[in-house]
Amino acid sequence: MTQARRLPELLAPAVLVLATALLGLVVSSYLQAYFLDTLIKVAIVIALYVFIGNSGVLSFGTISFVAVGAWTAGVLTVPEGQKKVTMPGLSHFLLTHNVGNVASLAFAAGAGAIFALAVGLALMRLSGLAAGIATFAVLGITYNVLTYEQSIGPGLNAFSSVPQTTGIWQAAIAALICVVVAYAYQRTRFGRMLRATREDHAAAAAAGISTYRQRLLAFALSGALAGFAGGVYVHLLPLQVGNLYLDLTFITLAMLVVGGAGSLLGAVVGTLALNGIYSFFSAATNTVDVLGWHLTVPSGTAEIVLGALMAVVLILRPAGITGGREFSLPRRRRPVADLEKARATT
Amino acid sequence: MIVAFANLSWPVFADALALGGIYALMAVGIGLVFGVLRLVNFAYGQLMMAGAFALAYGDQWGLPNWLSILFCFGVVLALSVLMDHLVFRPLRTHSPAVMLVATFAVAFVLQNIALIAFGSFGKTAGSLAVLQAPWDIHGVFIRKIAIIAIATAAGCLVLLQLLLTRTPVGLHMRAASMDFRTARMLGVRANRVIGGAVILSGLLAATAAVMLSVEQPQITSTFALPETIYVLMGVVLGGLNRPIPATLGGFSIGFAFGLLGGILPSNQSQYLPSFIFAAVIVVLLVRPNGLFTRGGAVVERV
Amino acid sequence: MTTPTLAVENLSVRYGAVEAVRGLSLEVKPGQIVGLIGPNGAGKSSTLHAIMGSAPISGGDVRLGDRSLVGRRPEDVARGGVALVPEGRRIFGELTVEENLRLGLAARSKQSNGGGLARAYDLFPMLREFRARHAGALSGGQQQQLAIGRALASDPAVLLLDEPSLGLAPKIVDVVFEALTQIRDAGLAVLLVEQRAQRTVALADESHVLANGELRLTLGPKDAGDTERLVAAYLA
Repeated sequence: MTQARRLPELLAPAVLVLATALLGLVVSSYLQAYFLDTLIKVAIVIALYVFIGNSGVLSFGTISFVAVGAWTAGVLTVPEGQKKVTMPGLSHFLLTHNVGNVASLAFAAGAGAIFALAVGLALMRLSGLAAGIATFAVLGITYNVLTYEQSIGPGLNAFSSVPQTTGIWQAAIAALICVVVAYAYQRTRFGRMLRATREDHAAAAAAGISTYRQRLLAFALSGALAGFAGGVYVHLLPLQVGNLYLDLTFITLAMLVVGGAGSLLGAVVGTLALNGIYSFFSAATNTVDVLGWHLTVPSGTAEIVLGALMAVVLILRPAGITGGREFSLPRRRRPVADLEKARATT
Repeated sequence: MIVAFANLSWPVFADALALGGIYALMAVGIGLVFGVLRLVNFAYGQLMMAGAFALAYGDQWGLPNWLSILFCFGVVLALSVLMDHLVFRPLRTHSPAVMLVATFAVAFVLQNIALIAFGSFGKTAGSLAVLQAPWDIHGVFIRKIAIIAIATAAGCLVLLQLLLTRTPVGLHMRAASMDFRTARMLGVRANRVIGGAVILSGLLAATAAVMLSVEQPQITSTFALPETIYVLMGVVLGGLNRPIPATLGGFSIGFAFGLLGGILPSNQSQYLPSFIFAAVIVVLLVRPNGLFTRGGAVVERV
Repeated sequence: MTTPTLAVENLSVRYGAVEAVRGLSLEVKPGQIVGLIGPNGAGKSSTLHAIMGSAPISGGDVRLGDRSLVGRRPEDVARGGVALVPEGRRIFGELTVEENLRLGLAARSKQSNGGGLARAYDLFPMLREFRARHAGALSGGQQQQLAIGRALASDPAVLLLDEPSLGLAPKIVDVVFEALTQIRDAGLAVLLVEQRAQRTVALADESHVLANGELRLTLGPKDAGDTERLVAAYLA
């Protein structure tokens, strides 16, 4: 298949992201917050997808890379004067060094990648349930350390005074970067080799593919994207370590599962659909007008709807909305070409 | 840290044993269901949460303690069976990893239902709090709940061991967790074994819930959630397929938490969870038997 | 109470797109040993599993007496009086010998007269000696005896065996086959799937040769020496 034919695979998610961004520009600033949130979640879920979708291995640890990225970007951009006040325990090096907005995002991605690489060196030999539990342990360690270690961040407190540089454009560009990187990766030899191990482990090994190495690569890349997303996130809201733990893990995993864990389009579609629903029900806790009818729901409804959707999808259609398929244009029927191809293979 | 052991006293020791006991019961509950269903029930803590809320309601309605406890058991058992029918059985053909994610989802749904129903402050189950008071044993003050928890846990474990080793049902359950397919071909009734494991698991959850509620009388939507995570880690550490190592694993975590939490100053004990998690990772890499083996078969490795 | 006949009629077993067994018909009467031999992949194991209800039946019928077994769950087939000695024995290594035998009792029907463990111990005295040992510590031959004893514990009407001689020394095979003779004489219907064609044909009252899922040939004990016929049947 020529490169051109694959382009819709990239364009579809990219267009969806752009559409979201444009919509976010025209709505009221009250609603814009939800669009911003959605775009960042797109970035996070794509990070999840790059590893889980391509390798078929469950990982609960991605949000810990988001956290590490957020911490890195935050600590490096809070104005020095503020640092002494809000994070008194901070190490001297971090107290005295600051970088600009874009640099902080780069460092965030780097921190995420390095952490993921270190973790992955040990964990990429595991599969299935073992991988799930081990990566969950990584999440637990990260949460524990970030909560109590005052020398690297605000600990239990919210990350205040981080310059709020993430507007619609920064979020949209970040999401688009993730789309492009994920697409590029899955088109490379490495991405395809990893997908081969997902389909048939033994055959891939027989073909000389090192499952360990390919998984490690995807895991590190996933860490980079997650860290990057974390950096963007911390520039949007004063994040707290509790925002980057179980709830976020669950929500992003649900989005990936419902959208379809096997494809990039699935990651994007799942996030947009589910965050739309989630935001709707979250907003409805403060009464929402639906076609002239007032709707108020108790807080927590959004999570229940998400959880129920996820359970239903797992039971009825485990491959998700997209069925793990990317977007492709319908092929024109060319009988002669098909016949020639058939002749060539028999 | 060695010096800290000088802080060790009978009350601290007893409390640690008690916490270990509660964790051990939870470990068995989780291990039983895993053995028979190959399912790691992340939502186990929510079962306990439901039971604790039942206790709180019993309190609110002025029920005598024994009736509240009975109500608690009823609620937990009902919810266990419901969970099994609605979620576990339809998912039985999927991989354990998918099932873990599904139970994760169930845990979240239940947590938020509780949040809606009872608000973020939850409810208080105070009538048993009187057990926090200590008994004076030869001048040493040990909390009543510590003794009761130790005795209850020990008793339950002994009963369970008898059930598993001396009764036909127990034998069927053990066989089913080793080789379900062959067990069925010998006449072991799949549904009965699974139902039995679910019910036993529920009974253990209810027992643990009652005891934990004395330690944490303010029942919120996250009741027993951190404990479930730690017990799960303990069970993995101990080794899953065999009930005894699983129980020991759960007990050790609880005991370690209780002991070290009691003798170490808080700025040293706050990283305890990280050590537990790190130990789990090491175990999974180096000695993954139990959870991931079946009578000697090799773990799913790359 | 007369023990019923096991009848397989026009059985077809299909795994997805692959048809493992096609139009197989055979009958095992009480007090009879029927052999089922053939090359690897011929569908012999699939036949046994289909009878037990753990392989998908795509056509035909399996009857015990006048009751159809098709569509039943494995545990119900076992409780109906059909006992399987699986390939590779599949004993529970971590349970004791006695516990393994007791597991066999799970399928005992209400009408059985008790027998149970005593029967297994009588047939294989070695088991009584090792009753408290972990089954995993037994040798291959002893494990095979345990597997058969376990199947008998439920007092079945029909005994199915999937390659019991696999991996066993000839002397042990003698012991096992001798036990099968005694089981047959006690009135059970025995269906024996085996690789060792000659011994099976010599032992069984009649033997069917299965190849590629189809019944090719039926042989009697007289044909045990006729290697040409055997080979031809396998290769057909």
